[in-house]
Amino acid sequence: MIKLENIEKYYANKGLKNYILRHVTTTINAGEFVSIMGPSGAGKSTLLNIIGMLEEPTYGLYEFMGENITQLNERKRIELYRNHIGFVFQAYHLIDEMTVAENIEAPLLYKKVGSAERKSRVADMLDRFNIVGKKDLFPNQLSGGQQQLVGIARAVVAQPAIILADEPTGNLQSAQALQIMELFQTLNKTENMTIIQVTHSEANAAYGSRILNLQDGLIIK
Amino acid sequence: MFKLNFRIALRNLWKNKGFTLINVGGLAIGLASCMLLLLYVAYEWGYDKQYSNYKTTYMVYNNQAANGKIFSFAATPGLMAETAKDEIPGIKEAVRFDYPSDRLLTYKRNSFKKSSSFSDPAIFKIFDFKVLKGNQSTFLKNPNAVVLTETLAKALFGNEDPINKVVKFDNQEELIVEGVIEDLPKNSSIRFDFLMPWSLYGKINPWSLQAGWNSNFCMTLIQLQDNSFFEQANSKLHGIIKANNKDSNGEPFLHPLAKYHLYNTFEGGKSVGGRIEQLQILFLLAFCILLIACVNFMNLSTARSEKRGKEVGVRKAIGSSRADLIGQFMMESILLSLLSMLLAFALIEVCLPYFNNLLGVELAINYTQWQFWTMLVGLAVLTGLLAGSYPAFYLSSFDPIKVLKGFSVAGGSSLSVRKFLVVFQFVFATCLIICTAVIYQQLNYIKNKSVGYSTKNLIEIPIQGVLNQPEKYALLKDKLLKSGVVADVTNFSAAITQGGNNGYGIEWPGKDIKSNVLVNFRSTGYDFIKTTGMKLSAGRDFSMQHADSANVMINQALAKIMGMKHPVGSVIKWGGTPVTIIGVIEDYVEESPYKYSSPMIVTHTDGSNAVALVRVAATANLSTAVDVIDQIVKEINPDYPVDRHFVDDSFADKLKNERLLGTLSNWFGGFAVFISCLGLLGLALYMAEQRKKEISIRKVLGASSANILVLLNKDFVKLVLIANLIAFPLGYIIINKWLSSYDFRVGISIIPFAIAFLLSLFIAVLTVSVQSAKVAKANPIDALKYE
Repeated sequence: MIKLENIEKYYANKGLKNYILRHVTTTINAGEFVSIMGPSGAGKSTLLNIIGMLEEPTYGLYEFMGENITQLNERKRIELYRNHIGFVFQAYHLIDEMTVAENIEAPLLYKKVGSAERKSRVADMLDRFNIVGKKDLFPNQLSGGQQQLVGIARAVVAQPAIILADEPTGNLQSAQALQIMELFQTLNKTENMTIIQVTHSEANAAYGSRILNLQDGLIIK
Repeated sequence: MFKLNFRIALRNLWKNKGFTLINVGGLAIGLASCMLLLLYVAYEWGYDKQYSNYKTTYMVYNNQAANGKIFSFAATPGLMAETAKDEIPGIKEAVRFDYPSDRLLTYKRNSFKKSSSFSDPAIFKIFDFKVLKGNQSTFLKNPNAVVLTETLAKALFGNEDPINKVVKFDNQEELIVEGVIEDLPKNSSIRFDFLMPWSLYGKINPWSLQAGWNSNFCMTLIQLQDNSFFEQANSKLHGIIKANNKDSNGEPFLHPLAKYHLYNTFEGGKSVGGRIEQLQILFLLAFCILLIACVNFMNLSTARSEKRGKEVGVRKAIGSSRADLIGQFMMESILLSLLSMLLAFALIEVCLPYFNNLLGVELAINYTQWQFWTMLVGLAVLTGLLAGSYPAFYLSSFDPIKVLKGFSVAGGSSLSVRKFLVVFQFVFATCLIICTAVIYQQLNYIKNKSVGYSTKNLIEIPIQGVLNQPEKYALLKDKLLKSGVVADVTNFSAAITQGGNNGYGIEWPGKDIKSNVLVNFRSTGYDFIKTTGMKLSAGRDFSMQHADSANVMINQALAKIMGMKHPVGSVIKWGGTPVTIIGVIEDYVEESPYKYSSPMIVTHTDGSNAVALVRVAATANLSTAVDVIDQIVKEINPDYPVDRHFVDDSFADKLKNERLLGTLSNWFGGFAVFISCLGLLGLALYMAEQRKKEISIRKVLGASSANILVLLNKDFVKLVLIANLIAFPLGYIIINKWLSSYDFRVGISIIPFAIAFLLSLFIAVLTVSVQSAKVAKANPIDALKYE
């Protein structure tokens, strides 16, 4: 599903190349639950962003579902991205001005899903994540764990092929973190959703099926 | 999508009430100012364009060479209209039109002094006046007829049917009411309250029947069959006076009616603009104010970029394209501009009566016109697009990774754009302050400049009705002087603040025979100098001790033209008759207080004259004096209203135009400054957000609040200084151009510039300090703990 070949990323600073990623080569298959681990500054988030098409690699080949991403134009990339990728952030990044229900609905709007279907999918999500009672609240009225639930619901509602999570539990207390990780596992197991997460915690990584260890931009394991 | 974005936009506006208020307020003031000015421009632009044939209608102007210049005026011989229609092909109609003046019309006990004129029947073919009563085809054919406007008919007859009723004109002629027409629009150059046939004019003014081609005493209006005849008709008309009278130097030409009001200045016999220039300035001003309101909006919107940046990042991360975001931001700004439009409406409706009063116009919002609504919606959408474009493109360009990671948005380029915008606003505002200051200086200068006589407590009463009989006038003078409230009385052949007759026929020894010198002719009774308080630079006033029938006084301007050092005692010729100069009057303000006095010759008359000038005694109480004077006049001349004016009132009228300009620039300058301050506030808000961390660190390192305040204000002071530097030469050029049209004008001093500088600086520092003080006093930990 994802094929990375010799991915490099660096920032040129006064002629010096400041490498973030070097020779990253890996393949991730559909249905995998991969955890990217490594110390701070190893390039974990950058790798995730490249996979999520939010950043472009300086060099290398990236194939997503058989398409060469590095050669696609902006519009096609957004199209691909809209339909297949869902993002979950450490800081939740919900839109403050939108209610819970509207936050979940937003990606469907960009996908131009019809109104009736939107309503049913949002209702479905609210139901599944047990947040029906919160649907008209605004993000700042929710706890961190609840916000992250909404964040995941927003990622899942568009029925993506893959979910990318950047330290999804980084801001949460352990009980809430546990709940979120179990949710990811269920999504992976029951719906066969591909999940890639960046994490610091061995415990969280253990939920996954595979661990990519990054150090100074290199995959070491 | 649209619905959700719309809902969120509303929520956003509601959540940031302060911000919304500044934004909507600024835009509303901008829009209201713009619309108000546009309404006025449209009103002036619509002058004389209400008539369906205005495009083929022309006013005949007359070029006459005199004093080495060509004078152009809308005065023609009475013979012109008929001759032109007979001789020049392509002319459909040609009519005479008398200069409207106030005359008395009486029905039973109702009498009114209203604007009236005389014309030929064909005037109803040239202008499609709306006839309410009567048969238009017979109007003005009978010499004892009159056509009234609706308001006058109502005032005279109340609910009676006016048709075929007999009214009395000037207490002499009995006229039959032939018809009633709708009131003429206020922005029509051809205006009257009642119109009488030209044949009556001939009856009242027998001299006009004999007047030849060298006597210019009426307007001539010409309508062409269509404009393809214009060139031919105009060139034929050119020689029509000279063909009929070899001695005359008049060269008439056609001036379109549509341009009569706006293009009213002529130089060298050609139209060179006029009021249109003021209109263009106002038009420009309208858009500049709107522009700075838009700039404001941009500033305030981008100032919140950090806040909105996150939203942009999230939206992009969940699949929004840039176009979606641009659409969203555009929608928000259009929504805001529509909201502002509503507020602007309220503002306009509140201001309109005041504005109308100020300008003496009748502006109104015509809610039933589709043009109005299109313009309105167009303006709102245009404003929204204009104001929203920069924020939309700027905000939507954010890189989601960077904003989501919490990197502060790199401020460099966008900040400089915003600085440029603020400088632009302040250049405009400073220019307006400079112009306003100079306009007021000029007004003050003219107001305080010596008029040449004492206008205070000087009353002017028109001599009309029985007062035209010399013995009644003598009786009036006698009674007034004996009343004890009046010090002196004299009479004059024209209102002292207005123009009157002029002509050529003055000859003096050594005069260049070829040159024509246009001289004002006036006549007066005894005590002229004493009553008015004018000064004689040499000689004496007319007096009963002398026989003054062949004596004249002249003014200094004429003495200068004649090149006489000691004119008193010299004999000059006027119309071939020798007259002796007995006195030289120091120049006084005749018509325009801004222009040099024209040469003038004053003769003595004992008989009737145009006005009586009455000097109220210094010891008298003014209000009782006025009552006494009114009573005496009414007693002698009961059929006419007293109609007295204070000369200083008529004089104040002359400053009206400049005072109006002063008030306008004061108001709109104030708005511009206010809106600019809002923009500055926006920039300060942005800066405060941007530099929160820097300031916190400085405070942790030991900077005091005062240090921080200075640090923050320094940048803004710099911007205002740059704006001032640009505005000074710009303002100088503009105001210099404005002043150059006045003979008497203030020198441009440093004061207006100093005022503009200090005012803009003071306001800017005040505005910014409100914000920076908040930042300077804030607890540094609040800002730092998020890092």
